[in-house]
Amino acid sequence: MLKPILLVEDDKRDLELTLVALERSQLANDVVVLRDGAQALDYLRREGEHAQRPEGNPAVILLDLKLPKVTGLEVLEAVRNNPMLRSIPVVMLTSSQQESDVLKSYELGVNAYVVKPVEFKQFVAAIADLGVFWAVLNEPPPGSTKAPRRYE
Amino acid sequence: MSVDLTTCDKEPIRTPGAVQPHGHLLVLDAASDRLVAYGGSQPLAQAQAMAAAVEVPQGLVVGGSSVSAGRVRIDDRQWDVSAHRSARHTVLELEPATSETGNLAPIYSLARTFLPELQNAGTVLQLARLATLELKRLTGFGRCLLYRFDDEGHGEVLAESADEGYDRYLGHRFPAADIPQQARALYLLNRFRLIPDANYEPVPLMSLDPALGPADVDLSQAFLRSVSPVHLEYMRNMGTLASMSVSIVVDGKLWGLISCHDHAPRSLTPECRNACDHLGQLVSLQIAAKEANADVAERLELRKLTLEIVARLGDSDATLQRIVGESAPLLRLAGAAGAAIVLDDQVWSVGEVPADEHILELAGWIVGLGQDVYESHELAAHFSPAAQFGSTPSGKHIAGVLALSISQVHRHAILWFRPEIVQTVRWAGDPRAKIIDNGRIQPRRSFDSWAEQIKGRSEPWSVAEIAAARELREALIGIVLRRAEEMAVVAQELGRLNKELEAFSYTVSHDLRAPMRHITGYVDLVLDTDEGALSERSLRYLGHVKDAALFAGQLVDALLDFSRMGRAALKRRNVNTQLLVDDLVREISRQERDHHIEWAVARDLPDIDADPLLLQMAVRNLVSNAVKYSRGEDRSRIAVTAMSNEEGDGLEVRDNGVGFDMKYVDKLFGVFQRLHKSEEFEGTGIGLANTKRIIERHGGQVWAYGEPGKGARFGFTVPRRTTDALASSGVPDA
Repeated sequence: MLKPILLVEDDKRDLELTLVALERSQLANDVVVLRDGAQALDYLRREGEHAQRPEGNPAVILLDLKLPKVTGLEVLEAVRNNPMLRSIPVVMLTSSQQESDVLKSYELGVNAYVVKPVEFKQFVAAIADLGVFWAVLNEPPPGSTKAPRRYE
Repeated sequence: MSVDLTTCDKEPIRTPGAVQPHGHLLVLDAASDRLVAYGGSQPLAQAQAMAAAVEVPQGLVVGGSSVSAGRVRIDDRQWDVSAHRSARHTVLELEPATSETGNLAPIYSLARTFLPELQNAGTVLQLARLATLELKRLTGFGRCLLYRFDDEGHGEVLAESADEGYDRYLGHRFPAADIPQQARALYLLNRFRLIPDANYEPVPLMSLDPALGPADVDLSQAFLRSVSPVHLEYMRNMGTLASMSVSIVVDGKLWGLISCHDHAPRSLTPECRNACDHLGQLVSLQIAAKEANADVAERLELRKLTLEIVARLGDSDATLQRIVGESAPLLRLAGAAGAAIVLDDQVWSVGEVPADEHILELAGWIVGLGQDVYESHELAAHFSPAAQFGSTPSGKHIAGVLALSISQVHRHAILWFRPEIVQTVRWAGDPRAKIIDNGRIQPRRSFDSWAEQIKGRSEPWSVAEIAAARELREALIGIVLRRAEEMAVVAQELGRLNKELEAFSYTVSHDLRAPMRHITGYVDLVLDTDEGALSERSLRYLGHVKDAALFAGQLVDALLDFSRMGRAALKRRNVNTQLLVDDLVREISRQERDHHIEWAVARDLPDIDADPLLLQMAVRNLVSNAVKYSRGEDRSRIAVTAMSNEEGDGLEVRDNGVGFDMKYVDKLFGVFQRLHKSEEFEGTGIGLANTKRIIERHGGQVWAYGEPGKGARFGFTVPRRTTDALASSGVPDA
């Protein structure tokens, strides 16, 4: 089984478009969707309502920068500070080209930083590229297990 | 006669052991009134007879001036007697009595006419003129001069009254060495000297007491005292056989001399001598009063000037260089020929000043001294590079500097300059023509020697001027501090606004882009899924919706780029613009396959000190614009040439496109300013604004020229890298 892709996105339209893009990329991975940073951390740490989820880290986290409750940067920081989660590839997806955000993301150890293109075709291409690179080509760290595909 | 000039200061001028032959001098023992020595050509018996005939006045003050002791008759001859006391002796001096027809009561005429005139004199100069006129009239000498000594003892002739045939010395200077130190000390004690005939043969003092040598008799106060042979030589070289001088003493110091000369031997009656002495004292008192007044007046005047300067500055934006704008008060404040304001590496100057780079060097040195106010009237002696300053454009050498540093940290200073004195000395006639060059000492030589001594010196800065500079400094610092506080408040407010603006741009970036993305995304989804079910018209409308959303997205991105460009730090390097332009041309030519462009890129494009990425963006905008606006031409011609002026190096891009009307030139570089309808030419209208912003952040300038239908040219220059920056960066000059 393939490890799932974790998508953290609060905007429902961006979410729908991103899912369409992932679908068109024809990746076989499941996509786990979470709507804010706090949920994302619960999921990753298997806490709260995600306490019962099967073990295993996602293949990649696609993380929106601007999230309610816990921001994308805070999620990233928490992931990098947790020995269990540290090795998960994180891709920051954002509308912002704010250089302070870019800088901060790289300081916190982001693997890629993508400014969502306005043109939908480009957006699909970008998401597909990312998915292929991080979910398929990238050799997963040892010890990662697979999870079943999940539909929202 | 053999004399050596170097011995002047060692000569026993108070005890010369000899007297002048125009009178008789008797030295009595102070305690016993016994004759112990005498001078004069008369036999001892006559001297004894004279001593016996004179009644020694009582109550003479030891060391006091000579007083008249009446008239005695000896063997049918009348003698005028003067007497004074030294520590050991009473000295009697007898002169043949003159008829009293000439200057009958000269002292009364002095009081009657001269004194009221003296009181009416407004300035020291007027006073000096009156004094020379009066003294010449009183004595009948051919020429009368009034000198003033400066702090170092150099003399300057302030006033002169002379007959035909006499050399003129007005404005002339004499070196301090002309009057030896000990002579000056003597002139303070004995304020009146007369030499009736410079060709006199000195008469030795004859001592009647074996224990008393001729040199043991102090003749300081004797008017018959024999003077130095050097002085007599000087007189003969000046062509004057008779001379007389009166000391002007102000505040216990020898302020100056009034001196009379005559071509022929000439003597003065005791009454006249008294009057001269009296005149000297009157003039001394008046000068003391005038100088005190002048000092107060000068301080008042300088304070007024300071206030004037400060008031004007307070009304303006308080930048120091404003002071130079109205230069008259600034120059008058310090009595300077030139002045300069230095703010870091910038110089504003007025009047007689050294070259800017010298001013900067000097200001740096002065600020480094850490003094509030610096003054020197022989700058090169303290700051050796000043010797290399050369002359000002009008040929003057700067020797004096008065400077105030506003800041201990920054090179912020005001400097005043004075030229070397030698160049400003006035010559009233050339005495050389009339003087046979046989003497070692003479006025012309004196001048030369004086000029040598004061080479590299200016008029010294007066106490009042230095005080005024200090006062100006305090006032300026007050203003500067006040402005700094105001600026700090403004800066704080600006910082706050800037933060708000950043927050705003973040919101724009994040929140405005998202809806644009959603519009295009969903339009694409509709087109992808239901294209066949939509009418031709609906498809066209959806196409417009998508294009509009994409364009809005581009605008947002462009705006964000523009704001980012204003904030990002410049990373300057040496940029080869030849490579840069060649690459751009290749890239654009590939994109513009359908559009034939005749490129003319010069081969001598310069290296520029700039941020490579930003410079590339700026040049790209210019080249793209040229392509865009010449696209309608049958044959697009675009030329890129090197530009170089005193502001720096740069490029210019010309095209043969649609051009523009020069009356809109100011709008070209504005954000979102367009001169053409958007369907004619694509673009966000921000390209040239970006170019301008980039170039201006490099300290450079942009320009544009155009004519409708005849093409346009756009160019820029960026300042050259300074040699310092080049040296420190280690980048070789290409």
